[in-house]
Amino acid sequence: MSDLEQQLTELGNHIAWPESPTRLWRGVGRSRPVRPWARWALAAAAGLLLAVGALIAYTPTRDAIAGFLNLHTTVNRVPALQSPSPRPGQSLGLGAPTTLAQAQSRLTWRITVPPALGQPDVVYVTLPPVGPSGGEITLVYIHRPGIKPSGQTGVSVLVTEARGAVNEQFFGKTVGPDATIESVEVNGHKGWWISGAPHIFVFTDANGNPYYDTLRLATNTLIFDDGGTIVRIEGDMTKAQALQIAGSL
Amino acid sequence: MEGRPADDSALIARAQRGDGAAYEEIVQRYQQIAFRTAYVITGSAADAEDAAQEGFVKAFGALHRFRAGAPLRPWLLRIVANEARNRARSAGRLHRLELRLTDDFRPGDAAPSPEAVVVAGDERRRLLDMVNALSEDDRLVIVSRYFLQLDGEEAAAALGIAQGTVKSRLSRALGRLRARIQEAPLV
Repeated sequence: MSDLEQQLTELGNHIAWPESPTRLWRGVGRSRPVRPWARWALAAAAGLLLAVGALIAYTPTRDAIAGFLNLHTTVNRVPALQSPSPRPGQSLGLGAPTTLAQAQSRLTWRITVPPALGQPDVVYVTLPPVGPSGGEITLVYIHRPGIKPSGQTGVSVLVTEARGAVNEQFFGKTVGPDATIESVEVNGHKGWWISGAPHIFVFTDANGNPYYDTLRLATNTLIFDDGGTIVRIEGDMTKAQALQIAGSL
Repeated sequence: MEGRPADDSALIARAQRGDGAAYEEIVQRYQQIAFRTAYVITGSAADAEDAAQEGFVKAFGALHRFRAGAPLRPWLLRIVANEARNRARSAGRLHRLELRLTDDFRPGDAAPSPEAVVVAGDERRRLLDMVNALSEDDRLVIVSRYFLQLDGEEAAAALGIAQGTVKSRLSRALGRLRARIQEAPLV
């Protein structure tokens, strides 16, 4: 090493670097690295299912396959029974359907129902280990004046509550590129109005672990910290409507 | 072995099986060098912290692609440095890196006379000013090799160039720095 290189190395020991962050990693909740073979296996299985489904759906092909396999079937057509209409929000993966009273008996913190929306049409609860520590409750509202149902869900408003804290460091990054975040205040508490199409919301659950949650309606969302309970109000509504609902809590 | 830190490959293997604690240990091990590398690229501590954090998140997502037995540090530095470059580029702002000197003496330094302190401090300051005044390519390669003390592979990963280019660029940068010193000798 030349004299100059030695001088530079020595100089490097006297550089005033900015203070390094003490903790850059806060975990990824329930996620784990996805292995490529798993992706390919899933894609192949899906492709195979599609191909088989298409062959069976097409009558001539189905008959040809049955003939080839020497399968002879008789189809007895019966009038279709009317299936019960699906429970609102059932397809959204919100947990187990329940009632407010039952949910309250299983949670150690107080559920709040926004008076501006009234009693929910359906209630779902998710408990650990599937849900965040402390559990999570979702109130589903089907029709509310001035708020149209979102997409195919038939749901106008979702109100989700869980114990924890908003982790601003991760929160901004995981919301997604199609959304904008604006700071708001709700009853003196800090909140965020996310307009656009957010998809993921991360918060720190009651045990201090990051918890990744999907914003089910992928539409405008108001999030605020109501004294240790994180409340999310999702729906195709304006900021004023969301703040009015939140303000009624 | 009890009390002995696990080596990188053992930690990687555990992290690839979804062990969050193992990955956290990896981050703890390399977060300082990752942050400083990002700082050298972005010139901003806030951007460097964001880039390092995002880099570690991306590295976690890409762990399955990490080749067993390969050195971990250059791989992580490459991801963090890419993130830092993208961040600096997309934000449309390029902070010019201006490194400064600490005032204190490190533990183990011999207690110098007050005059020696002044002379050594002046010398370092002038040398650093000359490094700061170099072109960005020259400055980055010198800072990576001597200030961050990255080896050739790591410097190549951090700068996004081939190892051979690090070598030639470093040689030219040192030549230009020598020329400046000869114009205005340090002592």
